[in-house]
Amino acid sequence: MIDELNALLAQAKDELSRAGDEAQVEAARIKYLGKKGSLSAVLRGMGKLASEERPRVGEAVNSVKAGIEDLLERAKQAVAGRALEADLRREKLDVTLPGRPQKLGHRHPVSQAMDDIIEIFARLGFHVADGPEIEWDVYNFEKLCFPPDHPARDMQDTFSLEAATLPRPPEGAPEPPTRILRTHTSPVQIRAMLEARKPPIRVITPGKVYRCDSDVTHTPMFHQVECLHVEEGVSMAHLRGTLDAFVKAFFGPHIQTRLRPSYFPFTEPSAEVDISHPLCGGKGCKICKGTGWLEVLGAGMVNPDELAGVGIDPEKYTGYAFGVGIDRLAMLRHGIDDLRLLFDNDVRFLQQL
Amino acid sequence: MKLSLNWLRELCATDLPAGDLARKLTFAGFEVEGREQRALGPGADVVAARIAASERIAGSDHLSVCQVEDGRGTHQVVCGAQNFQVGDVVPLARPGAVLQGGQRIGRAKLRGVESSGMLCSARELGLSDDHEGLLILPRDTPIGTPIEQALGLPDTIFELNVTPNRPDALSHLGIAREVHALTGAALRVPRPKLAERGPAIEKLARVDVEDPKRCPRYMARVIEGVRIGPSPLRLQERLRSCGVRPISNVVDATNLALLELGHPLHAFDLDRLAGSRIVVRRARPGEPMTTLDGKQRNLSEDDLVIADGEKPVALAGVMGGQTSEVSDGTTRILIESAVFDPGGTRRTSRRHGLHTEASHRFERGADEKMAALALDRCAELVAQLAGGKVAKGVVDRYPSPRPPARIWVRPARVSSVLGTAVSAAEVEQRLQSVGLEKVEEKLSTPPPPSASATLWAVPSWRGDLTREIDAVEEVARLRGYDTIPVVVPKAGVGETAAIAPEQRITRAARAALAARGFDEALNYSFVSERELLELRPDVKPVRVANPLTVEQAAMRTTILAGLLQNVGRALKHGAQDVRLYELGRVYLPRRSEAHPSGDLAWPVDEPRRLGLVAAGHRAPRSWAAPHDPVDFYDLKGAVDDVLGALDVSGTYAPAEEPFLHPAASAALTVGGRRAGVLGQIHPRAAQAFDVPATVLLAELDWELLLSQARALRQSRGVPRFPAVARDLAFVVGADAPAARLLAEIRAADGNGLLEEVTLFDVYRGAQVPAGKKSVAVGLTLRAPDRTLTDTEADALIASVKDRLKASLGAEIRS
Repeated sequence: MIDELNALLAQAKDELSRAGDEAQVEAARIKYLGKKGSLSAVLRGMGKLASEERPRVGEAVNSVKAGIEDLLERAKQAVAGRALEADLRREKLDVTLPGRPQKLGHRHPVSQAMDDIIEIFARLGFHVADGPEIEWDVYNFEKLCFPPDHPARDMQDTFSLEAATLPRPPEGAPEPPTRILRTHTSPVQIRAMLEARKPPIRVITPGKVYRCDSDVTHTPMFHQVECLHVEEGVSMAHLRGTLDAFVKAFFGPHIQTRLRPSYFPFTEPSAEVDISHPLCGGKGCKICKGTGWLEVLGAGMVNPDELAGVGIDPEKYTGYAFGVGIDRLAMLRHGIDDLRLLFDNDVRFLQQL
Repeated sequence: MKLSLNWLRELCATDLPAGDLARKLTFAGFEVEGREQRALGPGADVVAARIAASERIAGSDHLSVCQVEDGRGTHQVVCGAQNFQVGDVVPLARPGAVLQGGQRIGRAKLRGVESSGMLCSARELGLSDDHEGLLILPRDTPIGTPIEQALGLPDTIFELNVTPNRPDALSHLGIAREVHALTGAALRVPRPKLAERGPAIEKLARVDVEDPKRCPRYMARVIEGVRIGPSPLRLQERLRSCGVRPISNVVDATNLALLELGHPLHAFDLDRLAGSRIVVRRARPGEPMTTLDGKQRNLSEDDLVIADGEKPVALAGVMGGQTSEVSDGTTRILIESAVFDPGGTRRTSRRHGLHTEASHRFERGADEKMAALALDRCAELVAQLAGGKVAKGVVDRYPSPRPPARIWVRPARVSSVLGTAVSAAEVEQRLQSVGLEKVEEKLSTPPPPSASATLWAVPSWRGDLTREIDAVEEVARLRGYDTIPVVVPKAGVGETAAIAPEQRITRAARAALAARGFDEALNYSFVSERELLELRPDVKPVRVANPLTVEQAAMRTTILAGLLQNVGRALKHGAQDVRLYELGRVYLPRRSEAHPSGDLAWPVDEPRRLGLVAAGHRAPRSWAAPHDPVDFYDLKGAVDDVLGALDVSGTYAPAEEPFLHPAASAALTVGGRRAGVLGQIHPRAAQAFDVPATVLLAELDWELLLSQARALRQSRGVPRFPAVARDLAFVVGADAPAARLLAEIRAADGNGLLEEVTLFDVYRGAQVPAGKKSVAVGLTLRAPDRTLTDTEADALIASVKDRLKASLGAEIRS
């Protein structure tokens, strides 16, 4: 009898594994567990058994019943799962259709570079100082040790302004009240020192500057950032350190700097600063004329006369300063080969960066 | 400046190869920007040859057949040039010669005439761009001499960048001094030998300086009996290689002395100086003069002139005049070697737009002592090249010789400025190498700044050295900037700058704009005045006095002019959707609000503005989204997002702006102040800028927004009790502004339970009576301290309905 029960379980297992839908599972349930089903038939035969055999067989009947119930449940789930899968597949997405687009805006490369520069210098302890773009001639030149009628002024072709279109100079303004479009961000040095009165001073001054010049490599407006550090014990070694830290932070740790003596009225000693060309890795290419170096900025120790001119004792304090063209840095970073692209605001260009 | 290495090596006996020399000079502050090799090349078999006969070829309008002698024989050469005469000596490229550019000369037949070789121009020899005709050589050039040898070639020419503080280096001697300092190679300063065989100069000419301030020194020599002619080939080549055109032996002598010693000289035809006089004086206002370039000039009282007994004969330090020019018939000359005031020379040079070799040097400052040497050197050259007798003596008007500058130098200061230890011995050696001399007597003024300081006398040619820092720079420059260590300064405690709130705010706004699809533009600050007045007729802009174009003549009073140009151009290029923003300054001719007075005053007000423009569609064309045009509410949404990024709230009201559509423009108010305008462009402005009338614009007052913004948003926690959501639809008059509806709904909430109101539908049409609109709002109700009951929610909704009915006559639909 026990053999009969086991055979029944095996038969049910085999049958249910082949059940294709819910109706077949239900038919199997009736067939095995129904009132007139196979298990009931076996139970009916129990009466013929000896009384001592009954508990053992009863146990076996229960176990086979539980087994069949479990098989039924599993078959039901399997059938439902298959039905769901089949159902899901009925309506398929074309996953190769393009995604739903949304227009995202792009930062201008110059403003990106400017932001990065501000952040790099913040790490070095410099804060941002601001000054006007329509500036007193005195701050743009005289206070920066450009003597009047000096050819150093030729280094920076100046846009002047029609006096009649300007407001009356305010009280206390510098004399003479000639106003120009600043040719560099350096006049902010003067303002920062006049405002701070006392070192230590560590500022950077990003902004627009103007020169009366327009060709393939010059636009009449461009962007500079000036860096000024005045403190006791500051030396040219610190200038080199700050330059090196800045250039490596901006272009990458492999970039080298080198200084060449030069002349700027407001610094002494003065230097032109070259960096190893980020694009060719200093090996030399067409852009750097095969030298591996690019001239990117002017630097130097603050002219003691400039310090004295804003009431800072040049015996006690020393300083360094440098000014760098942001547009050129941005061009180098993004492989932009035409300066004028920066100010055409062609969306085809802006959206590349 | 152009520098001939052959010439340089005559003055400083260095044997460094050109490349090493270029590097040394570059790293001492004289950047070698270019290098030119001057040579005819190894295959150039070109010799001096005399044209013995010449005759036109029948049937040709320009060819002639010449018989030329080159020492080996007579050759027949066909030539196309016109500028020669029989007897001239010219370069002959023999058959087989290879010229610059690889041109090979052979035997040929031109118009049936045999030609063996070619007579050459300077350009054909690669010596200059001069292609006027044959290069005519001095007649005394020995026939058969290889041209390269006669020219003193090969040579290397450096293009040097000499900074404005170093006029002393604008000469071969000046650079020789530097090379001497850098390499120790011996310096050979020319020592002219003059035989003064003429009469005393005082008998021949008279010089008066009326303005010694503008002319601190005036020297002159007179030479009689000169014969004007060409200079020897080698000297002509020298001039040419330095970019100066050879003219005649006398003029060439002045230029050779200039290029060699750096001091400008001028030769006058003494016979054409009225009264044999030189008067250095200011010009009379409006006084006329014709300069050497043939231009008639009206002089100003600020112009210093060299006059003769009657009239100006030169613009002092700038250019000579025509009347006293040395010409072929000149026999008596007066050579001027003077020093003119830098500022005055510069003013005259700029006033007349004349930038010359002379003015370039005088405006940078000439060496008063060099005037004497240069004069003698020039006279020596004239005597050599043009013959004549040098008059006895010199005229020297030099009332107050400048004493040599003296500088105290502390070696410790050198070390502290450079950030590296430099020994006292090295400082001395470096300063001596550039001609400074140690002064031993210590009683001089000013007193020494420290016990270890040494006193130095500056050579006359180094006008740029006046202070200790100048000496520091010399030491640094000569030892090389690469000897300075690289030290990153320590950031002091508490000094490290935090990210400024302004920077954080600006970044948040930029991110919001990027998410809204706005690309950032950067336009020039100057635009055309016409365009500005189109947008802001009420503000007269600041004008640039010397603009490059009229399109860049006025400082912008609104940031929108540039953006509108950008949009117009983008659409013309075929762009579908353009959204641009610019954050930058405008320039208003009024007192600066932030920096109104004192020494920190800003000359004009330069507030920052945020400009937005949008055209095209809301979303890129796609199968997955409708392709609707962008409209006012897209722009307003973007402005809202900017305000959100700044944590600022604003209100909008209809506005009138000259450049905005009167029915589609709004003013933004923040903190009770007007913070900007937005809307659709006015059709008139659209026409002026040639953009579609659907373009949308906004201009916001960034200074005001910044002042109201919060850099860091503050957390308010998360509500702990559930909200109740109810929708409400009603019909009101079509012209009732949404802001009013929302305000009334808010006003009905006495207990602060109304968390949010979302206006989600506005409908006008078939189901709504004419002159009315249907509005639907979603209300979110929540109490901070408990779960709201339905009764409470119902009560609030009822009061909202009542309020809408009472104040707006609303008809509630649901």
